[in-house]
Amino acid sequence: MADASPIGIFIAGVLTLGIFSFLYKDNPVYKVCEAIFIGVSAAYWAVEYFYSALYKKFWLGVIPPEGSGADPDMWLWGGAILGVLMLCRMIPKINWLSRWPLAFIVGATAGLYMMTFFVSNAMNQIASTMQPLIQDTFLATLGSFTVAIGTVTGLIYFFFSKEHKGIFGGAAKVGIWFLMVTFGASFGYTVMSRMSLLIGRLDFLFSSWATNFGQMF
Amino acid sequence: MSRLSRLSISRKTFLTSLLSLLVFAAYSAPLLAQDSDISVTDSTSAELEGAPAAPTNVLAVDHKYDIGEAVDVSWDLSFDDTAGMRNVAGYIIYRSVAGSAEFDSIGAVFSLTSSFADIGLTRGETYQYSVSSYTLSGQVSEPIVSAEVTTEREWFDWDEVWVFILLVLIGGSVMYFIYHARKGKQMFLRKIAGLQAVEEAIGRATEMGRPILFIPGIHDMDDVQTIAGMTILAKVAKQVAEYESRIFVPTRASLAMTAARETVREAYMTAGRVDAYRADDIYYVTDEQFGYVAAVNGIMTRDKPATCFYLGAFFAESLILAETGNSIGAIQIAGTAQPAQLPFFVAACDYTLIGEELFAASAYLSGEAKQLGSLKGQDVGKVIAMAAVLIGAVLATLGSEEGMNIETFRGAFHGIWSVFGGGQ
Amino acid sequence: MGNTLAIIGMALLGLSLIYVLYRTIIGNPVSRRVVFVYVAFAAGLPLFMDLLPPVHVTPDVQALVDALEELPPNSKILAAFDYDPPSAPELQPMAEAFFKMAFKNDLDVIVMGLWPQGPQQADQAIAAALLDPDVQAMNPQYGIDYVNLGFQSGNEFVIQRMGSGFKAMFSRDQRQTPYDSIPVLQNIVNFSNIDFVMNFSAGKPGTVEWVQFAVDRFGATLGAGNTAVQAPQIYPYLRANQMVGLLGGMSGAAEFEKALGMPGAGSTMLLSQISTHAIVILFIIIGNTAYFRTRKRKNG
Repeated sequence: MADASPIGIFIAGVLTLGIFSFLYKDNPVYKVCEAIFIGVSAAYWAVEYFYSALYKKFWLGVIPPEGSGADPDMWLWGGAILGVLMLCRMIPKINWLSRWPLAFIVGATAGLYMMTFFVSNAMNQIASTMQPLIQDTFLATLGSFTVAIGTVTGLIYFFFSKEHKGIFGGAAKVGIWFLMVTFGASFGYTVMSRMSLLIGRLDFLFSSWATNFGQMF
Repeated sequence: MSRLSRLSISRKTFLTSLLSLLVFAAYSAPLLAQDSDISVTDSTSAELEGAPAAPTNVLAVDHKYDIGEAVDVSWDLSFDDTAGMRNVAGYIIYRSVAGSAEFDSIGAVFSLTSSFADIGLTRGETYQYSVSSYTLSGQVSEPIVSAEVTTEREWFDWDEVWVFILLVLIGGSVMYFIYHARKGKQMFLRKIAGLQAVEEAIGRATEMGRPILFIPGIHDMDDVQTIAGMTILAKVAKQVAEYESRIFVPTRASLAMTAARETVREAYMTAGRVDAYRADDIYYVTDEQFGYVAAVNGIMTRDKPATCFYLGAFFAESLILAETGNSIGAIQIAGTAQPAQLPFFVAACDYTLIGEELFAASAYLSGEAKQLGSLKGQDVGKVIAMAAVLIGAVLATLGSEEGMNIETFRGAFHGIWSVFGGGQ
Repeated sequence: MGNTLAIIGMALLGLSLIYVLYRTIIGNPVSRRVVFVYVAFAAGLPLFMDLLPPVHVTPDVQALVDALEELPPNSKILAAFDYDPPSAPELQPMAEAFFKMAFKNDLDVIVMGLWPQGPQQADQAIAAALLDPDVQAMNPQYGIDYVNLGFQSGNEFVIQRMGSGFKAMFSRDQRQTPYDSIPVLQNIVNFSNIDFVMNFSAGKPGTVEWVQFAVDRFGATLGAGNTAVQAPQIYPYLRANQMVGLLGGMSGAAEFEKALGMPGAGSTMLLSQISTHAIVILFIIIGNTAYFRTRKRKNG
């Protein structure tokens, strides 16, 4: 809020308090704030997409402003045509055409991600798990055993071709324990994050808003 | 920075390079000595007085496995960089298009750097490079010129051939299983706890006369989790239609809304109740994440759905949604492959499909050959991964002190590949 | 004065919890609204104190700081801002400390964003960093020492295309100056001309995408600041050496500030963070007491 106007800061504070009022119970003030939030944000994204995609990327791309020295990018017309096909959905007779851009998005994403995920999330991760089990210190050794056992039992839990029974079931149970411990750690991190958001809002109310409030009245 | 330098070099590679460097030094020492003899008698050396020793052995090679737009220039560091005067501040790289004697400076690097990647060249053009060292006081050594190099385009990146082989292996087993599933072969999938609860949960909502809320995640249709969510939505909607209950699907992405409408309409059609389908119950809210959450929270507290489904990609909103659902006493079934959000669903929902279980559920419910086959194929991938982790860890423990890295793989694959005459 | 009152307030808050525990034990637990009030006080009161809590710098943060401080002057850093105002409390302190460090060490920073509001957050962080006297002494200039290329739509595909050339994605900066006429961008074609990529991320596209595309495809060196929600998902990439360091949440911000020797918002808000955590832990204990009580009653 570095350069927000005093009225802007005032409204921001009032809306914050309005949303906080939900903590007591659902009430009309909260509903008004919620409606404002949804309306403003929907409008914001409409403008943002229009400006960044249609104007900045497409329009300036195919018709570069004079003196920019850039060549018109004719590939963008391909995207534009797919975009128009998307709008065919509104005309019942040809709404099947809108499946083409969807197919393009799904296909292109899958192609791009096949290598990416395989290398970054599978190969590199597996490679980093292949560490010597015996390390210099006891704790490090314990750590590398934990990583190896956790990885393998976790994979067993997500193995769908075999019923979880016997030794296999036992290993899957160890796997789910590993998952649950991970979830616990993750939970803690998120609580921290949520509290940070609350602290950020309170800081805003106590400093910018309160100071501004004092100056306004 | 090149890809290689980021990865740690194994000890063996290091020793081999060291050895080859020594051999190279032994062979090139007489040649270098000869060179320096010439430079002493060279008249230009007087003009370059105070200039640092020039880098040696300037090499320019076409960047391997690219589309022919880059050249890698490398050199041995100037004597005054590592020893001698120690006054080298960096190196300047020059380039000329073959045939012209005119070298243009194209870049500079800091001292102790012995390579430069020249990018954005023309394919099929021949270039020549030269490199000088310079000092902070502005003295520049004589430029050492490289041999000519022509940029070439290659169609296949042989460095990544190992990824290709593994992908073919896993992709091949996916195809194999899809083929057999299509042929009608029964595929075994283990039971997934959350799934058995779905029907019961819909039944309960019908009994209570309250609606069902279905959130297919907050991502668009380009996320496979959203697609899995939609597959389950098809099943849920069909049951809802049969039970004559009502389902709400607010979405955060516009494409997801269209897909959800189509899915639900088709489900109602299959159930023979297309007249009961209400398009207005499936709607776009806003792209703003928390705006969307506020809206869904509002729907929950006002319409009090008896059952809430959260199946798809979720982020910070997961706990807020699940908590609100909990406070209105809804039965909640969640599923996501978003590891950070699973804890909240596990804590606040009645059933949670953890990670890949979401995709398994989607395959199980739809019984589609494609989904079943890919799930089975991925199980093959998991077996490979488990074996790799176990064998890798054991080998690492017995063998090296540094463990393995991706280069170990790459090296091994290259070795095997070259036996069969592949690569270069 | 503020300190004393706030400490007295905190002490009263702690004492009153004994009463809450007592009520819980006799089987009359407080409503959730009371919990909200406690959390509000625990978060709010420390904001009136000017004490800095002790901070221990963890290795992951130290590794990032070391990597940044080792960069020679005029190194090029690509700073990707992939978050929006809702995540500012955690990420803005990191961003401010980052810019202060970069300007003091005379590093060149190229700002961009895959989130529409990211570049604005960067502008705010730069404005805050420029108030620092040490930074003012270096007098960083827009266009020469830093540039803001703005937002580009297309999510991770933007990173993919930046691999063949930044200019294809950012033909102009945020102020509409053409790419070629910006001094700091001279000789910058793609990731091979970038010494370090710093990412501030609150979700997708974010650090995961930067690892997958910039690091694993184009060999960039990456460090990141993440919201605490994201952080656990990013650690595996850190362990696999796909990144050099990671700042997680507000504590990460405080550690970053401490390691750089420039306390800021992260350090001051950390006290609130600690006190809310304490309250949460105490309520978990009280909540479990209530749970076991009701279970005992049911059984008995």
